[in-house]
Amino acid sequence: MTARAGIESAISLPTRIWTRLTVRQRLGLIFAPGAVFGGLITVIALALFGPAIVDFLSVNNGIPRFFAAVTAILMMTVPTAFVIIYLELKVIARMNLRVGPNRVGPWGSAMSVIHGFKVLAKEDFAPTGADVTVFTLAPVVTYMASIMTLLVIPFAPGLVGQDLNIGLLYFFAMGGLTVVGLLMAGWSSFNKYSLLGGLRSAAQMISYEIPLTLSVVGVIILAKTMSLNGIVNAQSGSLFDWFVFKQPLAALIFFIAATAEANRTPFDLTEADSEIVAGFATEYSGMRFGFFFFAEYVNVFIMSALIATTFFGGWNAPFNWPWTVTLNAFQPFSYGLIGWTAIVITVAFVGTEALAVLVRLVGGKTWDMTSTFVMGMAINVLLVIGLLGFLGFIAFDVVRGLTWFMLKTYGFVLVFVWMRATLPRVRVDQLMGFAWKWLLPAALLNLFVTATAVVLTNSR
Amino acid sequence: MPPRQPAPSTSKPRASAKADATTPAKAPTKAALARAAKASAAAAAHAAADVAAREYTSGDDPRITLERQIGHLYEPIPPYPMRTERESEFYTLGDGEMFLNVGPHHPATHGVLRLVLKLSGEQVVDVDPVLGYLHRGVEKICENSDYYHVIDQVDPLEYISSLFQEWSAVLSFEKLLDVQVPRRAEYIRVLSAELLRIASHTLYMGFLALDLGGLTPILYGFIERDEIVEMLAALTGARMLFNYYRIGGVNGDLNHEFMSRLGDWMTRAAKQTDANIGLLNENEIFVRRTRGVGVMSREMALRYGVTGGDLRAAGVPFDVRRAHPYSVYPELDFNVPTRDEGDALARYLIRVDEIRESIKIIDQCLHNMPDGPIMARVPRLIRPRPGRAWGAVEGPRGLMGVYAISDGSDQPFRFRIHDPSFVNLQTLQAMLPGNLLADTMAIVASLDPVMGGVDK
Amino acid sequence: MDKTLKPRLEARVGEHLLGPIYQRQDETEIRVAPGNVPAVLTMLHDAVDLRFEILADLCGVDTGTTLQVVYHLWSPMTSDWLRVIAVGISRDDPRAPSATFLWTGAEWLEREAYDMFGIIFEGNRDLRRIFMPPDYTSFPLRKDFLLPDDASRSTGAGIRHVEIGHTPANLADDKSAGIRRAPVS
Repeated sequence: MTARAGIESAISLPTRIWTRLTVRQRLGLIFAPGAVFGGLITVIALALFGPAIVDFLSVNNGIPRFFAAVTAILMMTVPTAFVIIYLELKVIARMNLRVGPNRVGPWGSAMSVIHGFKVLAKEDFAPTGADVTVFTLAPVVTYMASIMTLLVIPFAPGLVGQDLNIGLLYFFAMGGLTVVGLLMAGWSSFNKYSLLGGLRSAAQMISYEIPLTLSVVGVIILAKTMSLNGIVNAQSGSLFDWFVFKQPLAALIFFIAATAEANRTPFDLTEADSEIVAGFATEYSGMRFGFFFFAEYVNVFIMSALIATTFFGGWNAPFNWPWTVTLNAFQPFSYGLIGWTAIVITVAFVGTEALAVLVRLVGGKTWDMTSTFVMGMAINVLLVIGLLGFLGFIAFDVVRGLTWFMLKTYGFVLVFVWMRATLPRVRVDQLMGFAWKWLLPAALLNLFVTATAVVLTNSR
Repeated sequence: MPPRQPAPSTSKPRASAKADATTPAKAPTKAALARAAKASAAAAAHAAADVAAREYTSGDDPRITLERQIGHLYEPIPPYPMRTERESEFYTLGDGEMFLNVGPHHPATHGVLRLVLKLSGEQVVDVDPVLGYLHRGVEKICENSDYYHVIDQVDPLEYISSLFQEWSAVLSFEKLLDVQVPRRAEYIRVLSAELLRIASHTLYMGFLALDLGGLTPILYGFIERDEIVEMLAALTGARMLFNYYRIGGVNGDLNHEFMSRLGDWMTRAAKQTDANIGLLNENEIFVRRTRGVGVMSREMALRYGVTGGDLRAAGVPFDVRRAHPYSVYPELDFNVPTRDEGDALARYLIRVDEIRESIKIIDQCLHNMPDGPIMARVPRLIRPRPGRAWGAVEGPRGLMGVYAISDGSDQPFRFRIHDPSFVNLQTLQAMLPGNLLADTMAIVASLDPVMGGVDK
Repeated sequence: MDKTLKPRLEARVGEHLLGPIYQRQDETEIRVAPGNVPAVLTMLHDAVDLRFEILADLCGVDTGTTLQVVYHLWSPMTSDWLRVIAVGISRDDPRAPSATFLWTGAEWLEREAYDMFGIIFEGNRDLRRIFMPPDYTSFPLRKDFLLPDDASRSTGAGIRHVEIGHTPANLADDKSAGIRRAPVS
């Protein structure tokens, strides 16, 4: 028996077949059985239970709506995090008199996407001695806790994942789960810095939950509901119906406590880089770290959204919108399929041609023909998008509400970013002292005053 | 195919490991122990832990076994016999205490300072600073290079403010040689050194804020420092390691680019400094993080031999420029600011005041700058008469001294460098216990150590 | 040069001095035996007309034959630096009293002198190496620790440097090994 034959015989038959396949064949081998079996099972299930499923869904149409909402929210979080990360990179850079990211994409705007890919490409390992199960689950728990709170936030009239009648309670219950994830990460990493960070986060978030929750009780009393949609509706009307004018102290307490809940400067003790390296995330790398990172920025968005919802009128406009136009012409099906096709073709081609001529007239012969047409097309697309957006803004409540909501939310995101660029970090005893000695009594006082006022006005 | 060998019995390696572990303990003499320590201490520690792990395997929770196996890798306990009583006392844990190894790779230890902290919760119980990660043996190198080469050997020690280290070296050599430095050269030295002092202090403020979690001041500090080092680059040809002072003078005269940059900067220096300082002075969180933290009393500061701003913050008006004047400082009008609190905030505010005083000095230098040569007549090959000289200058961090002994040859027989950060760092042992972990970074940053100088 | 310092020093610590007080430029130098260092330093620190309260530096020196410990002191009462040299410390069994009883800050300076010269300071609570690794056996700043690859001295010839272990056992063998120059006083 030669050596060659020995090696051949040592390799098993499946391995031999596998090594002779091309990459495309291998992929086919992996995915084809899944597709076949999945298709078969679907067909059989539809044949057997199809009418029943359709009947069930048509009766309970909340269920597909719920799944669609959850999927949309899940899809929304990562781009949101990208935008906030980019904002943070760029805004802090400008505040530091730096340029900030300026290489990838226009003004460096794709930088955070690249960060995301980098995180995906990094090696993902657990340190020796770590409790691998808990270590792996911790980022998932943190991320899940963050995005589950998004379910009850009303983005616009009718645009809410699930309008729970205990929405606020659900929000705080889910938000409180974040600390479990951080504690798991800190404990399982087998690192003292992680442990300190995890314990700090537990102490900090549990302490700040109390003023955070107490400060909105005044709002609940005034709005007479715990549904976030109801709270926003209670603030409709003029600018001075917003709860920030009725509950200014509560708004302040809520903002401070929300900063601590989102682990943002000056309360970012859990990941204080100059003290405990990276806190609970010290031993994390790759996408596990990415989940923590995304969760942090999603948290910033959520806290800003909650502040905007609870105290700043949510999707209500700051003033009464003068044009309550309903554009019948804009109704999707009023022109029929042929009409819409004609409109789209006309706008696309005629607009592009016209603008290309304009570009040619303005730019002269500096650009060649292709560039002129591309430029005309780009300007056309921008114009159409702008026009559609404006029409949507004045015609649809949803677009208008979403615009105001996002403006307010990103305003608060910018405030968080601004604070990060400006403020040093507080010490852990100062942090706890502030929560228990100042915020908690202030929140109780606010609650007491609000409740008294409500009782007095109602009895009169 | 040959049959596979039977699995080795577990008793064999255990026995050999035990033998390894016990061998150095039986060694008779101290000398033999010291030699054996190098070779086998680490191996013995691993082997012992290995044995312990295997013995506990049966019936125990596997996770506990794992901690036993690798736990010694995570404790900063040294793997050699304790050398002093203090060391063995430190590396013995009390109830509820743990070690935390801060550095040498840590975001807030200013280079490669390593602090082994003994923590109870977040409270520091004791600290053992470990130095030497940046030791290059500069003193030995200087003793083996001639007098001119010493100047560029000492440059990278205090890399933030290298002119002062050069100055102390050339001062001691000039004393050995009895050279009278021309007045214009002295004024240029004062001018450039005070500029660098401002750069160093501006950076200090930024790093202090950075260690407290403030991102922005460090970048403002670097902008200020960059203007100054660009200016000095026009004067000396280098941004950081200047190699500018010479025995008996300086390397080059003032030039147009330097003067125009300096004039440009001086018109707004005071205003810009106030603006930068306002970032921190008016910040409530910064003030609360530093006030009453790391208090160094007057007696303690003197007992520890602390110098520089750290000593003046404790109320001792000791500034070498006034206490033991050198160069043309007696002719210049400036104050030595002192404070009584001795805490981190006072150390910070002293630096702020010193920036203002330095701007005053630069202004006077520009007004009083005499004409004349910039170098004394010094021989090409320097062979001072046998003797000893001690040259000390006031650096940004305190007294920077050089003790040079000449034996009549062209190389210093002994070249001793005294670095202020080295002495100031010792106070950590007295200041840290009782403070929180977060204050550790504030205190270290407020002492302003430069590890290049500390480790020599 | 502070002429008035000389009589004051003679009056206070005169009986401990080895040789005359030496003054040059802005420095005053006295030499004492290692055993007398604590008494002399205490007197210099406490006497009302001396008050040398700041320890500017403490370092070791290898003269080639013996070791020294050099203290630089500063006082508000004089315009001179005072240099106290503890002379004649044996290279075979280098021992000197510690100054930590007076200046706590001398602890690390003495550790450095121990690390570089092997001088054992009696009374220092924490005398271990500070810069060099703990398993290091040489004392690098002694004159018999050579750097043959130094560019100004030799061609190098592939030798990095010569370390000589200064454990007490082989000290006797090293004496003749590497004193590179005539000893200084």
